[in-house]
Amino acid sequence: MAQIEVEHLGKTFKVPEREAGLVASIGSLFRRRYRDVRAVDDINFTVDAGEIVGFLGPNGAGKTTTLKMLSGLLHPTAGEARVLGHTPWKREADYLRRISMLMGQRSQLQWDLPAIDSFYMHGAVYDIPKADYQQTLDELVELLAIGPVLKKQVRTLSLGERMKCEICASLLHRPAVLFLDEPTIGVDVEMQARIRSFIGQYNRNHGATIILTSHYMADVTALCKRIIVIDQGQLLFDGSLAALSQKMAPFKVIKIDLDLKCDDYPFAEIGEVISCDDRKVELKVPKAEAAAATAKLLTDLSVLDLTIEDPPIEDVIKQVFGGRTQRDDAEATETAGASA
Amino acid sequence: MSHLLRAFPAFLRVSIQAMLQYRGEILLWCMWGIVNPTVLYVMWSAATRGAPDGKIAGLDQNGFAVYYFFLLIVGHLTAAWDVYNMSYLVRKGQLSPLLLRPILPMWESLSSNLAYKITTLMFAAPMWLIFILITQPSFQTEWWQVGLGTIALLLGAALNYMLCYTVALVAFWTTKLDAVGEIYFGLGMLLGGRMAPVDALPPYLQIASELLPFKWMFAFPVEVLAGMRDDVNSVTRGLLIQAVWVVLVVMVFRMGWHLAVKRYSAVSG
Repeated sequence: MAQIEVEHLGKTFKVPEREAGLVASIGSLFRRRYRDVRAVDDINFTVDAGEIVGFLGPNGAGKTTTLKMLSGLLHPTAGEARVLGHTPWKREADYLRRISMLMGQRSQLQWDLPAIDSFYMHGAVYDIPKADYQQTLDELVELLAIGPVLKKQVRTLSLGERMKCEICASLLHRPAVLFLDEPTIGVDVEMQARIRSFIGQYNRNHGATIILTSHYMADVTALCKRIIVIDQGQLLFDGSLAALSQKMAPFKVIKIDLDLKCDDYPFAEIGEVISCDDRKVELKVPKAEAAAATAKLLTDLSVLDLTIEDPPIEDVIKQVFGGRTQRDDAEATETAGASA
Repeated sequence: MSHLLRAFPAFLRVSIQAMLQYRGEILLWCMWGIVNPTVLYVMWSAATRGAPDGKIAGLDQNGFAVYYFFLLIVGHLTAAWDVYNMSYLVRKGQLSPLLLRPILPMWESLSSNLAYKITTLMFAAPMWLIFILITQPSFQTEWWQVGLGTIALLLGAALNYMLCYTVALVAFWTTKLDAVGEIYFGLGMLLGGRMAPVDALPPYLQIASELLPFKWMFAFPVEVLAGMRDDVNSVTRGLLIQAVWVVLVVMVFRMGWHLAVKRYSAVSG
């Protein structure tokens, strides 16, 4: 059953703009120019209960804007959305009690106090019964391994420790829907893996519905069976990772280990040479030609080992967004929304 | 409501804890609070010596000492600063986490306001005593004036807090609000009887002060507590005007908040 339903959702920001320089600055005092930027443009999707969906796109694609509309922070300029049966931007208390949005770059903790004090306040704000609060807190503290840092001032915590405390605060009221916007941003690889593992565990234990945006593909590949790709505010793809690979990257990678060094073989005639390192060669060939290319290689060369693989998802995503320059205007959409 | 009754004490507890982290700052804020009224007392006190009957606007040197003593207390207990805070929260996107909670962000802000007033009392009260020791005022206040003056003080604090928070909503449209804050503070100084007692103002400013809310935040509670209003009917009328202002501002806030949140564009993500 769909817990999140999005229909023709759109958000257009009015962004002030002017030329560089002092004269333009003075001019803007008297006559201000605005430009409409479509951050989200007519997107549709549904998310079922318990699903984890990865939301992918380059900077300024409209990911965060979409999450903000779904969490009730922004009013859309077009379309409809229902989350848990509520219209998010009506901001009903019953709705806000059942969701959580974690923004990697925004803190909900009291900076000058130990995290445990923020958790206490969170328990009161969400009106969590004391017994439930203690039980959930104990569980989260154990799963996130934050026991030793609970009594340290938040501003003295490392980024990874703070992120784990932010996650703990976000989950204390056991939200049914969780919007995670860059939950692993800035933390080291080991901490990223721990946070990923925790998110997966929370999803399995509580059946929470999760939409995740991340610049780290490892987050997405580890957690999301389904991904939604968005760019320039428009939905480009909605499906499984494998299907994305099929659709967006119709090629295979052939990896060959050779018995002998073979510098003069015309690999480029078979496919695009990704790397050629002594006796190891990697070729990119169109899917339709993969079988024929493999047969030719096995016939012509003395091959020790040969594998045919789908391209890494990072490369697929790079290919999808490759060639596009990051658009400052769309970036501005997500970083400077208020048209003052 | 029961939810709020549980959340608000938690906000207050955490806000007091946060305030107590910065003892030095508490002391400096208290000093800031005492400097302005003291300077003005010294100025007006000197001016009375040059006046023909030793009085200005009906107050002699002792009258000004009493007036500014109560202004110290009223100024401290009615303080509000959200007009400065809000633009920072909006501009830095720090309002987003607060808006995601199932409770109005105003309640947390109000708890910070009360926490400031509670925690600063330990430094402010001795300063008020020092002011008394230096100026040696002779109080004429009667007990009924203390009682009604306290109610006036509470209503003044509620009015200043609510109006300040409501004006702060302009930040959702302009993002930068420092100038609005200065105008608000300036009007409070001039028309609220902080720069000079309202009776010392030119007639047209006295009319403005009667019609605008600032007098009812500061000057009116001070005048009652200082024993300058000895007519119960006049005091009751003042309390009624304060109450009407509070209700009016709360209504404007409710409408303004709805529009402001709709307007909110989560600046800076």
